Amino acid sequence: MSDHHPQPLYQQVVDFLMYEAALLDDGRFQEWFDLLTEDVVYQIPVRTTRDREAGRGFSQQAWHMNETWGTLKTRVARLATSYAWAEDPPTRTRHFITNIRIRPGDAEDEVRVTSNVLLLRHQGDVPSAQFLSGERHDVLRRENGRWRLARRLVLLDQTTLGTHNLAIFI
Amino acid sequence: MPEVNGQSEIERLLEEMDRSLKRGLIPARIFNDPEIHRLELERLFARAWVFVGHETEIPRPGDYCLRYIGQDPFIFVRDEAGGVRVLFNACRHRGVQVCRAERGNASHFRCVYHGWTYKNTGELVGIPAAEEAYKGFDKSAWGLLPAPHVASIHGLVFASLDPQAPPLETYLGGMKWYLDLLFGLTEEGMEVIGEPHRWILEANWKIAADNFAGDDYHTLYLHKSMWDVNVFQVPPRANMMGYHVQAGNGHTISFSIAPDPNEPGPTFWGYPQEIVARFRPDRVSREQFELARRSRVSVGTIFPNLSFLTVPLTADPDRIPPTTFMTVRQWQPKGPDRMEIWSWALTWKEASPEFRERSYQACMASFSPSGIFEQDDTVPWPLMTKTAGTVFFGRRNEMLNYQMGLDGIGAARPVTDWPGPGVVYSPRYEEGVQRHFYRRWLEYMRAG
Repeated sequence: MSDHHPQPLYQQVVDFLMYEAALLDDGRFQEWFDLLTEDVVYQIPVRTTRDREAGRGFSQQAWHMNETWGTLKTRVARLATSYAWAEDPPTRTRHFITNIRIRPGDAEDEVRVTSNVLLLRHQGDVPSAQFLSGERHDVLRRENGRWRLARRLVLLDQTTLGTHNLAIFI
Repeated sequence: MPEVNGQSEIERLLEEMDRSLKRGLIPARIFNDPEIHRLELERLFARAWVFVGHETEIPRPGDYCLRYIGQDPFIFVRDEAGGVRVLFNACRHRGVQVCRAERGNASHFRCVYHGWTYKNTGELVGIPAAEEAYKGFDKSAWGLLPAPHVASIHGLVFASLDPQAPPLETYLGGMKWYLDLLFGLTEEGMEVIGEPHRWILEANWKIAADNFAGDDYHTLYLHKSMWDVNVFQVPPRANMMGYHVQAGNGHTISFSIAPDPNEPGPTFWGYPQEIVARFRPDRVSREQFELARRSRVSVGTIFPNLSFLTVPLTADPDRIPPTTFMTVRQWQPKGPDRMEIWSWALTWKEASPEFRERSYQACMASFSPSGIFEQDDTVPWPLMTKTAGTVFFGRRNEMLNYQMGLDGIGAARPVTDWPGPGVVYSPRYEEGVQRHFYRRWLEYMRAG
């Protein structure tokens, strides 16, 4: 990435993340899927509570999601069927993306993005939200003049998930 | 609790259920009642053999994981001599949890309150200022309390808090025959991959145990989207062919098996040749091996709250072949209307790294918080719990229907030439397996 225009690049990244969040919260999953590169890696490791000296507790082997373009395609296709009861009626999600920091990527056309995510989820007539929070470690890549998501690692703050399923995307 | 003639409302409910269950009727109330929940912790979870973990989760001396029996916390630990122990996670001085990390490796557990220190055998070995504070004190009488009984089968470790509990093998009864063919076909056996999934569902734990006990019927509708996106190759109605086994003592297993022994389709649950080549006929009987060969799917519940499922599914039908996984899952009670689901993925120790990874992926993609199969189960289970807690339905002891397969209802018939233990019906349009589960539940709950 060019270092000569940090402000526009940062703004482009923010615009991408805000647009992506809006697609997810609007349930426009196919359009969200179209934002992914074909070599996308999308991962949410399982976390456990560990002693401080043992590190942050993210598993190397166990995942809530460990996805490729093809497996995400299956998930999006399933949400579009008439029998995806987990999200019909849909839960209402709200993605809040903050603390956005960018660094140069490994390739010329890539940028590494770290952010915080707070995801509120409402189901049915329950007035209180389920929520998930964590860090996102993303790689965005410019393809055909357009930013796409090439890598996402979501590091959740929860060990036991306080939501009834992950039929949603973080 | 209001009492009539010296008998509480709940005792009367259980007595009534004892009769109604014979007619396939179960009072909804048992799925959401604070008194039932309390009695389950005392009469069921404190007496039954309850799963605590797999031996491969703690391979080295000092490895430990925190686990729960009912809602009580235990440390599942391998001691320095290599023995597996299940120790109550509370300092004997004031009851503070001595282990607060979920897993790790430790030679000792130390209470943060006053510093009492225990070896990973549970032995109390250190007390700060012992000379001044506890001179003459008998430390040997104040070790961490062990679960009265710990035993394992095929690496699955169970514990019972009841000093009078029968041996695990007796408790498992006919189920052992089926566990042998599910978990014991290779020389080295199965191992857990990584840490278990844990998540909260606002539903009663029995609903999940009942579902896995053999509610294959729900796959036709609730899980219809799975066939729409081609993640499972056996068509839904064909998949209902097979057998329901009441293995005794409340344990059940359901097999998806084609009527024709030589019908094309998955054999050995769809395991690939690299795995099947490691299955050793001499480890089980000829009948067990043939049953394993014909199995497309096996699902069941080890009473009370451990279920298993092995099935070939794919996370990406266009690119990845159906891949067999084994999941073991525990439905942990967290209240009358709340459970914590713990789910482990297992594979054969002999599996190649490539197969192991693909098997984990198939499991995670279908049965986990993000699993597209399991996601849909998280809709009806909380709703059933909600109904059970209503005044109009639940508190009036209205009945839920568990009559499928009773005499004259449906097409399922007893199987008379079954080679294994238990009472067996075929095809799988049948709820005798669930009635078997609740019969055992009643026995524990009524043995006040």
